[in-house]
Amino acid sequence: MKTTLITDEERQKAFKSIRKPEVIERQKLDVRFHIEDFNISERPRRFLEAFAAILKNSNYKMALDHFIRMSAKCSRCATTCQVYQATGDLKDIPCYRSELLLSIYRRHFTIGGLVKGRLLGSGYLTDDKIQEMAESFWNCTACRRCSLECPSGIDHGLITHLGRYILSEIGISPRALVVSTREQLEGVTKNTSAIPVPALKDTLEFLEDDMFEEKYVRIKFPIDVENADYVFFPAVSDFLMEAESLMGTAAVFTATGDSWTIGTGYFDGINYGLFYSDRMLERVVKKVDAETKRLKGKSILIGECGHASRSAKYFIPTYCGGKDALPVINIMEYTHKVWKEGRLKLDPNVVTEKVAYHDPCNIARQRWIIEKPRELLKAFCKNYVEMTPSGDKNICCGGGGGTVSIDEIRPYRTTVGGKLKADQIRKSGCEILVAPCANCKKQLRELVEDQGIECQVVGLHDLIYKAIIFDDSHIEKKVAQSESLPEEK
Amino acid sequence: MEFWLDLAKGPFFRLCFAIMVLGLIRIFLLDIWGAFKAYRKAGDKTMPWKLVLSRGLEWFFPVNRVARNRPVYSIFSILFHIGLLLVPIFLFAHVKLWEESIGASWITLPYDWAYWLTISTIVFAIALLIGRMLNRSSSFLSRKQDYLWPVLLLIPFFTGFICAHINISPDSYQFFMLMHVLSADLIFVLIPFTKIAHCVLMPLSQVVCTIAWKFPPETDEAVCSTLNKKGAPV
Repeated sequence: MKTTLITDEERQKAFKSIRKPEVIERQKLDVRFHIEDFNISERPRRFLEAFAAILKNSNYKMALDHFIRMSAKCSRCATTCQVYQATGDLKDIPCYRSELLLSIYRRHFTIGGLVKGRLLGSGYLTDDKIQEMAESFWNCTACRRCSLECPSGIDHGLITHLGRYILSEIGISPRALVVSTREQLEGVTKNTSAIPVPALKDTLEFLEDDMFEEKYVRIKFPIDVENADYVFFPAVSDFLMEAESLMGTAAVFTATGDSWTIGTGYFDGINYGLFYSDRMLERVVKKVDAETKRLKGKSILIGECGHASRSAKYFIPTYCGGKDALPVINIMEYTHKVWKEGRLKLDPNVVTEKVAYHDPCNIARQRWIIEKPRELLKAFCKNYVEMTPSGDKNICCGGGGGTVSIDEIRPYRTTVGGKLKADQIRKSGCEILVAPCANCKKQLRELVEDQGIECQVVGLHDLIYKAIIFDDSHIEKKVAQSESLPEEK
Repeated sequence: MEFWLDLAKGPFFRLCFAIMVLGLIRIFLLDIWGAFKAYRKAGDKTMPWKLVLSRGLEWFFPVNRVARNRPVYSIFSILFHIGLLLVPIFLFAHVKLWEESIGASWITLPYDWAYWLTISTIVFAIALLIGRMLNRSSSFLSRKQDYLWPVLLLIPFFTGFICAHINISPDSYQFFMLMHVLSADLIFVLIPFTKIAHCVLMPLSQVVCTIAWKFPPETDEAVCSTLNKKGAPV
C-alpha cells in the first residue's frame, strides 16, 4: 500500500516547532519536541562515552558488527516506511537513519574505522550529527515494519531504539516521556498519569456502579487480592480515558469467575523505557514483577496496550528471572481462551456496524497475537472487514515508539506518521476501528479527527462489554424486579 | 602474457581464494561467536525458532516478496543472483579446472544454460546498476562500493563470455582470459571485507536480530556504574 506525498502546507504544519527560539539557542538543539535543560558541554565526547558504556553492558555490539558487514543499501525499506512515503524526504529512509549511528560505530568502535579515521583525519562525531540523530530517531515511529523488508535482515527499529537510548544518556529525550517516567519511578503516585490510589479506588467504584446500572450485574474490580491468578496492569491512562476497556475486562472476569486483582502498590502497565532507555525499561519492568510478587499473584496480565504488553512479555523474563519468571499474558489471550472454552458468551446482534481491527505493532510484528482478536470479533460482529496489509505486516498508527505521548508533535503524527494508516482506514470504510492499545487508540482518534474520517476508535473489550451475555445467576435485575413488583402493586 | 596468466590462474588464484575462504570463515565465526556470547549474557534465553526460521527462509526464497515492493528491481535482483551463483560454480570449464587441480568434480551446467545465464547475469547487472543510479532513494543511499560491485562482477562474466563464445585471436583470448581471472581474483579478495559478505552472513541475520533484543539482566546498574550515574534521578 502506498500513499501520496504531503502538500507544502501540510509539511509546514507537520514540522512547525512550538519551542521558543531562546530555548533552542540555550540548548543548542533544534528539534521539534520539548527537552528538559541538560548539560550541553562536549556533547560528542559524552555521546561516545555513553555509546561505549552501553556497548560494554549490552548485546548491541554483535548486532552492529553484523549490520555494518551486511548493509547492501538497496532501499527496499523506503517502500514500506510510512514516514518516508509521506514526506518523500530521503533522510527519512530507515537505512539512512540507521547509517547515522552505524557510521559512528564504524568510525569510533571498529579497528578499521579507527585506523582509517586517524589516517584521513575525518569522520569524527560532530554536534551537527547528534542534532540530526535527535530529530531523525524521533521522526521514526519504531514500528519495525521496515525490518521485514530488508533482504539483509537489518533491524532498523533496533538501531533507532539504541540511538534513542544513547541520546537519553546525554539528556536528549522528549520531556513528555521523561517526566512521566520520573513520576512512575520516583514520584508519589508511582504511575505515569499521576493518579493517586484514593482516586483510583473512587474511579473503580464509580465504574462498578455504572456497570450495575447498565447490566444489573455486580461486576467488581478486585483490589489488592492476594493469591489471585492474574494481577492486572493496564496502561494507567485507561483509568482516565478508556473506562469501557476496563469495564469489558472486569465483565469478562465476572462471567468466568476467575480470580484477578489490581494492586494499589503499583498498577501502571506503561513502560516508556521501551521507547527511550533500556535502563528505565528495566526499572519499570521490575516494578510490575515486584507488585505481582507482593500480591503473590500467579501471573501478570497486561491490558489492552501494545508497548506495555511487549515490555512485560519480552522483558519480564529478561530482567526478572529468565525461565523462572512469572508468566505474562495479554488480556486478549485470556479472553480468547475463555471464549474458546465456552465460558464467555457474546451476543452477535449488538454490534451491527462495519468493524475493522488494527494490529498494534508491538503485539503483531513478532506474530504474537494476530488471529485471536479477529476470531473474537468475527464471533459477534456481523460486519467485520479486514484491512490490508495486516497482522505482522500491519501499518503503524503513526504514533508508535512513544511519539503519541509527545503532544507537541501531534500535527506531525497526524499528517506524516499516520497518513498511510488514514488512507487504509478510509479504504476499509469501517465505522468502528478496534485498536487494542492505549497508544494506538489515542493516536487513531486524533488521526481520524484531523484527517476528517468518520470512524469510531475503540478497544476490543469496549465491544466485548457491549456484547457480553451473563448467565442468569449473575443478573440481579430479575430479583430486583420480582422483589419490587409487589411493592408497586 | 602467458606467464601472467599462469600466475593469475595458479598461485595468485590460490592466494585470493584462500583469503576469501578464510575471510568468510572468520566473519562467519565472529558472527556466531558474537551471537553465542550475547545469548549467554541474555536474561531471557527462549528463542522463537519457528519465527526466526520462517523469516530467514522468506528471504532465501523471496518469491512472495517480489510483488509487494519494487517488483522489477526484485525480479532482476533474483535473476542476477541465480546467474551469479550458478555460472561460476557449475560452468563445465570451471569444474574441469577444479577436477584437474584438486581431483573433485560435480555436476555442470548444460552449454545452453551457461550461455543464457551468462548473458542474463550481464544484462541484469547492468539493469541493476542503472536502476541504482536512477532510483532516487537507492542513489541517495549508495556508497562507492554499491556502484563498483556490479561493474566488477560484470568483468569476469563479460570476458568469460568473449573467451567462450566469440572467435578471437589467441593474443586477444589470452588478454581477455587474464582479465577474467584477475577480476575473479580481485572479487575473491574483496568479498569478506565488503557487503558481499552477506553471502555467508545472511542466514544468521534473523538469529542475530532476535538475540540482539535479548538484553542482559542488570544493565541499569552496570551502565550507571560505567557512566558514574549511580543514584542520579531519572
